[in-house]
Amino acid sequence: MSGKSAQERLQARAPEMELIREAQSGSRAAFDALVRQYEHQVLRLALHLTGSEHDAEDIYQEAFLKAYRYIGNFRFECSFYTWIYRIVTNLCLDQLRRKKTRREDHAVVLDHSGDEIDVLASVSDDRSFSNPAKELDRKQLGARIQEALGKLTPRERMVFELKHYQGLRLRTIGEMLSTTEETAKNTLFRATKKLRTQLAELR
Amino acid sequence: MNCELAHERIVTAAYGELPDEQMHELERHMTGCPDCHTDRAQLLALKVLADAHPMMEPPANLVARSRMRLEEALDALPPKRWYERLSQRMMNNFASLQAAPVAACLLLAVGAGAGILGGYEYAETRVIHVAVRDEVLAPKPVIPPAAEITNISSIVRQPNSEIVEVRYNQVVPQQMEGSLDDPKIRELLMVASEDSTSSDVRDDSVGLLAAECRAGHSCQAAGIRDALMVVLRYDKNAGVRLKALEGLGPYVAADTRVRDAVLEALLNDTDPRIRTEAVNILEPVEADTSVRQVLHSVANSDQNPHIRTVSRQVLKRVPEIQ
Repeated sequence: MSGKSAQERLQARAPEMELIREAQSGSRAAFDALVRQYEHQVLRLALHLTGSEHDAEDIYQEAFLKAYRYIGNFRFECSFYTWIYRIVTNLCLDQLRRKKTRREDHAVVLDHSGDEIDVLASVSDDRSFSNPAKELDRKQLGARIQEALGKLTPRERMVFELKHYQGLRLRTIGEMLSTTEETAKNTLFRATKKLRTQLAELR
Repeated sequence: MNCELAHERIVTAAYGELPDEQMHELERHMTGCPDCHTDRAQLLALKVLADAHPMMEPPANLVARSRMRLEEALDALPPKRWYERLSQRMMNNFASLQAAPVAACLLLAVGAGAGILGGYEYAETRVIHVAVRDEVLAPKPVIPPAAEITNISSIVRQPNSEIVEVRYNQVVPQQMEGSLDDPKIRELLMVASEDSTSSDVRDDSVGLLAAECRAGHSCQAAGIRDALMVVLRYDKNAGVRLKALEGLGPYVAADTRVRDAVLEALLNDTDPRIRTEAVNILEPVEADTSVRQVLHSVANSDQNPHIRTVSRQVLKRVPEIQ
């Protein structure tokens, strides 16, 4: 991405800009096309943060409804990706804050009917974790990681999620969270420091 | 460099955001500082451990469910009124101008100059332009905009032929004859499919459009597929809805919008013939998780016992996707 010139990046964004303009003019088909471009990323982020299909679905619904209502306000000053992620991260932060008081341990993800899905069981593993004892260790490890992540503040959790799991640049994270790159960096430092302390005995 | 700064740079470097010159400085510090070395090893271990809680791709039925729910919510929103759209457009234009002040000033200056010059020349010369009408050639039939068509009065297909005669009313009754492949004829048929005054006209037009789709003729570029989906969702006549459903059948595997519309019909249509036909049409995609979910719901709760039985048979026929 960094190797592309500004012109190349603009050309790559041109079809999306047309879609956005059409959506701003009221085209439902154009908005639906935008939804399809981003829905997997939105759900992936919401699902990983909340651990619940039901909550992820609610965040998806609220995010795209907000996008539909306010797409007229989009001024092309940033990418649409950043804009939609800004909406999603704010909704996820609200959700994390609400959940913070409950402090549930999510060893697994919940599906829409509330049944548990074992995340780690659904991940194929071709390393030496193929025997039941190691499988149990891996599940317990995953549970400990989630517990440690749950102890971060919502903002620390969000920055760590966007940096470590989504691989976004700190500058982009700052834009999404309506803050500066420096603040995002400091938040990442605090998050990693806390996580290292909590996971010290696992190493 | 002190250790506190080094700790921060270790984190930045581990996530690929440290500039090269600072990386070099950090490496020099690390060679003489065992604490920072340990710090880096701990951070790398943390990254590995964090991957024990991996990102999951959202399941297909979660995506389908979320999309359907969003579409229902968007359909329920009232459309924006013309003054809301106009004010939004004006706000967007104003915002664009704000972002380009030099261009805006130039545009203003050019516009003002052109206006003054044009007014001066008009006042000086007073040229009268006369429009020359071409009355020699017979006027070609031009399809008026849909808003000028009051209704479609009849649709007659010539036997054993692709030629269709569509009678429509504007201010003066008009008619047009042409092939089913003619885009103008198709456009008129799509207008007819929305004619709320006559179910016979809608029935004829939807039947012809659906037949074109089933025959594999171009069914998307002209918006025919969309028109059929609108008919399936909203037409009050069950016979017309059934024809629209049959026309959409060939696209249920390739087009998820068509699939969603058929699933919606299976769940919500009041006519049991349509719900039964929907189950049959979904056969190519029986193994799809969203389809199975809807079939489960129908198998348990549909009022019609035949439909419940058919749904259960379909579910038994195709093994569960693991």
